[in-house]
Amino acid sequence: MQILKKTNLKALEKAIKIGPQETIKILETKGLTGRGGAGFPTAKKWLFALNSQSDEKFVICNADEGEPGTFKDKFIIENNPETLVEGILIAATTISAKKAFIYLRGEYSHLEPKLKKAIKLVTQKSKAGIEIELVIGAGAYICGEETALIESIEGNRGQPHYQPPYPVVKGLWDKPTIVNNVETLTCAAQAILFDDWNTYLRLFSVSGNVTKPGVYELPFNVKLSEIMKLAQPKNKVKAVYFGCYGGCMPYKDIELTPENVCGESCIHGSCSIIVVDETNSILDLSYVVSKFFAYESCGKCTPCREGTIRALMIVRKIRSGQATEEDLKILQELGEHIGQTSLCGLGKSATNHLLTSLKHFRHDFEERLR
Amino acid sequence: MKIKLDNKEIECGQDKTLLEICLQNGIKIPTLCYQESLKPEARCRVCLVEMDGKLVTACSTYPKEGCSIITESEKVMKARRMNIELIMAGHVKTCSLNVSSNQLCTILEQIGLTGIRFDPIRDYEEDLGSAVIREDNKCINCGRCVKTCADIQAVYAIDFANRGFNEHVAPYCEHKLSDVACIKCGQCILHCPVGAIREREHLYEVIKSLKDKRKKVIVQTAPSIRVTLGEEFGMPPGSLVTGKMVAALRKCGFDKVFDVDLGADMTIMEEASEFLSRVKKNGPFPMITTCCPGWILMMEHFYHELIDNDNMSTCKSPHEMLGMLTKTYYAKKQGINPKDIVVVSIMPCTAKKFESTRPEMKSGVNYVLTTRECAKLINHFKIDFKNLPDEDFDPSLGISTGAGVIFGATGGVMEAALRTAYEFGTGEELKKIEFHEIRGMNGIKEGSVSIKGKTIKFAAAHGGANARKLMEMRKNYHFIEIMACPGGCIGGGGQPPHSTLETLKKRAEAIYSADKSLKLRKSHENPIVKQIYKEFLGEPLGKKSEKILHVRYFKKSQF
Amino acid sequence: MAETILSILRKEQKKNGYLSESLLKKISIKTKVPVSKLYGTASFYTMLRTKKQGINTIEICGSPACYLNGGLDLEKFLEKELKISFGQTTKDNKISILKTSCIGCCDKAPAMLLNDKPVTNLTEKKLKTILKRCKSSKKPI
Repeated sequence: MQILKKTNLKALEKAIKIGPQETIKILETKGLTGRGGAGFPTAKKWLFALNSQSDEKFVICNADEGEPGTFKDKFIIENNPETLVEGILIAATTISAKKAFIYLRGEYSHLEPKLKKAIKLVTQKSKAGIEIELVIGAGAYICGEETALIESIEGNRGQPHYQPPYPVVKGLWDKPTIVNNVETLTCAAQAILFDDWNTYLRLFSVSGNVTKPGVYELPFNVKLSEIMKLAQPKNKVKAVYFGCYGGCMPYKDIELTPENVCGESCIHGSCSIIVVDETNSILDLSYVVSKFFAYESCGKCTPCREGTIRALMIVRKIRSGQATEEDLKILQELGEHIGQTSLCGLGKSATNHLLTSLKHFRHDFEERLR
Repeated sequence: MKIKLDNKEIECGQDKTLLEICLQNGIKIPTLCYQESLKPEARCRVCLVEMDGKLVTACSTYPKEGCSIITESEKVMKARRMNIELIMAGHVKTCSLNVSSNQLCTILEQIGLTGIRFDPIRDYEEDLGSAVIREDNKCINCGRCVKTCADIQAVYAIDFANRGFNEHVAPYCEHKLSDVACIKCGQCILHCPVGAIREREHLYEVIKSLKDKRKKVIVQTAPSIRVTLGEEFGMPPGSLVTGKMVAALRKCGFDKVFDVDLGADMTIMEEASEFLSRVKKNGPFPMITTCCPGWILMMEHFYHELIDNDNMSTCKSPHEMLGMLTKTYYAKKQGINPKDIVVVSIMPCTAKKFESTRPEMKSGVNYVLTTRECAKLINHFKIDFKNLPDEDFDPSLGISTGAGVIFGATGGVMEAALRTAYEFGTGEELKKIEFHEIRGMNGIKEGSVSIKGKTIKFAAAHGGANARKLMEMRKNYHFIEIMACPGGCIGGGGQPPHSTLETLKKRAEAIYSADKSLKLRKSHENPIVKQIYKEFLGEPLGKKSEKILHVRYFKKSQF
Repeated sequence: MAETILSILRKEQKKNGYLSESLLKKISIKTKVPVSKLYGTASFYTMLRTKKQGINTIEICGSPACYLNGGLDLEKFLEKELKISFGQTTKDNKISILKTSCIGCCDKAPAMLLNDKPVTNLTEKKLKTILKRCKSSKKPI
């Protein structure tokens, strides 16, 4: 697997030798984009931070992998933590930061010893003079959002704030900060060192009604049938969820290109595929996912705080057989409204699953109406 | 830069938010969580506008060159309506509208909401207290109270707790507000757009007393009420309504209307004498004023060293002094049994409701009503406030000086004290009686004056955050005035809410022009004050004064 | 801040079982952070507990992958076996059961956190063994 290739401090050596501008150029040429779901060009982010004038800058590795159906970052931390640490050091030296943080979600606290060992080994050997602090989260999906993550490190409630100002200008303690996903930073080290680094390979986390769930390294636009061949579902596949925030689509043997995925009103995101077979009702899945967003909403803004719980209550009503066509209309309106007026990415994508479920699997809802 | 605002090309600055730009161009965008002079949080999502087709919050978004802003498209109105609908679903539908100018209701009148399709889910207990009440079920999570208590007052009594739909405002560990270090300043009440925090009302008790023929119900009004009460009846900020206020209260049925400004003059007599005795003994300095009960609570909770080092003046606040004098000096003179007297104070302050219940105070005041409650009382008796002819206070305890009235503004207590302290200390006439350096809305103000060759350094601060800053530097000064509320009493927790800096400035202007218009401007010139000492108290700081006009405070937990 | 507030709260919870009011006050005095803010932060995060918990905490994952692999049945099983509902603690104070969001073990579903450590590929049999160990031990297992 490309992601498991070790760079053994050679990438950091090269980055220091060629300097920040050239390092960023390599990442730009190689086409590295964020692997946390937003897909922002990494070179651009680092360049913004490099150009922000400040006496202090920070690098944060976002290891708060909370998206249901996603476990690829855990895979990297378990199997190639040294390259990840090297990627962090490269980011820090490129933007002239002296301190970096790894924000590891609380549910992965059992990985602390492994990570700490890798940090000690790599930082001591590298002599780069950059301090890496491991901060362990305490159970909040919203802290995967970069401004909420920054608030969490600062000791506050992990509630996001509006952007601009962007973290690359005003981030942790109001200093320029880059927040990058685990996979992004690991890939950064590999992209700098290996000439044959392939930007189109992604880590797909496949789970659900399959007999061989796991992390698969596949091309970005892989065919869904290829994924099924590897994951081997027991029964006929009904639908595929792109995590919880990416929405769901009926199973089709299509290539997962951005156009095709958008065509189904879904978001590729961080390549999480949750397979749902025909023994399950999409209405029940909607209930599970609605519950997730209602409980993980941070509560700051009106549409997400009040809307996600009301959406859950309507889905509950539909499941109990008490709902009418009017409730479906309200659910649709609520779904669109929360997506359009929420403050952060969580809110904006919290109802993708509802809107896509209503679009593709309306029958599963209608059959339960009064 | 050039942008398009509702299809009209305008010039605007890069450093103004869309909300500010719209206001400059005469367009008012509805807001709920926005607070002037504090960093916007964009929580409520009501101030939405369209920027290049996308919905953004006007309070937190800056324009881009050439962008097009639409403020009331169908898309915008639908989104605002739905957010208001979601807010109303969370806000208890059976609201009693007991805060004047409830901002949510104002928006409701304009937004065209036809129904609420969602059920309320909040089910919290009411948090009742002696001064401030919280009704969590009405809270819309706008966060203004939290920011006020943290950034403006630096008390941190409340914060958000829990997450998501369980998020609500609470003191630590879900305690009641009266069980934690809350200074009861009521600033949170002034900023709440929906009345989820309000004062504990005593209207019913006062109306009951007024009906009781056996009681002599006496009302006394604070210095700042005369420049704010008018606003509750639609008059512009800074309207001086002393005469109407007295007439209205008399029409309510109060037997006598006394002026707390006289109490303020008494406070100055005692406090200036107290200060001069410290000057003689060379300490302890600084001496800090104690007429603000919010500040007293702040000191008791967070500044124990001020009690240890004897920095606090022992003088009671003006209305407490006047209340005691009413039930002793006045009662004796008139031959009334003090037990038959009910004293009602009209105060700008919620902390004073707590103050009169303090056991150590042995208060002569029975009930404290805020400015807002006073307006409600006047409306209860269906009195046409605006058209009342002016009347005067009852002279027995109703004559006051300019020094008394300036108590209402930040710096006023200090200025009044200096006017008397200078003349008492030097034996000379004070030619320049206006101390402009201690006036105004700056957070901390300072100055110095020479009394018998000694340079007296004085300072004043208003608002909790500024008070804390001044406390760090307190060793530089001899005499310090602290007002817990921004602006002083004119911005108190009991005043008409949602005041801006402009409003406060206008109220202060009215206070100082009232001072200028009075013939007597120094407390010791007040003939009633002279009479009280001659006939009853003897001299300032004497045994009788000590007994009824002074009090000591005790340490409280910092939590 | 030498240590982040989050790290301090986690550390103190580990030492003392949960973040009681007196503990929060102690932390407030040490860090000079107002106690209302500390309570606000502590109550925000799922894994920080401001109420007393049992000696062992079981957090069962309720997210889609676990649900699709029988998570719901295991939840019902737990409630039946321990005769308590989610959010409660057994009478002998040995076990608290809670529901949680995705813990990242979707490829080994259904899964749970037992005293903050993941236990995967759960079955009724496996759960029964774990519950037995919890009941017979005086310390967290």
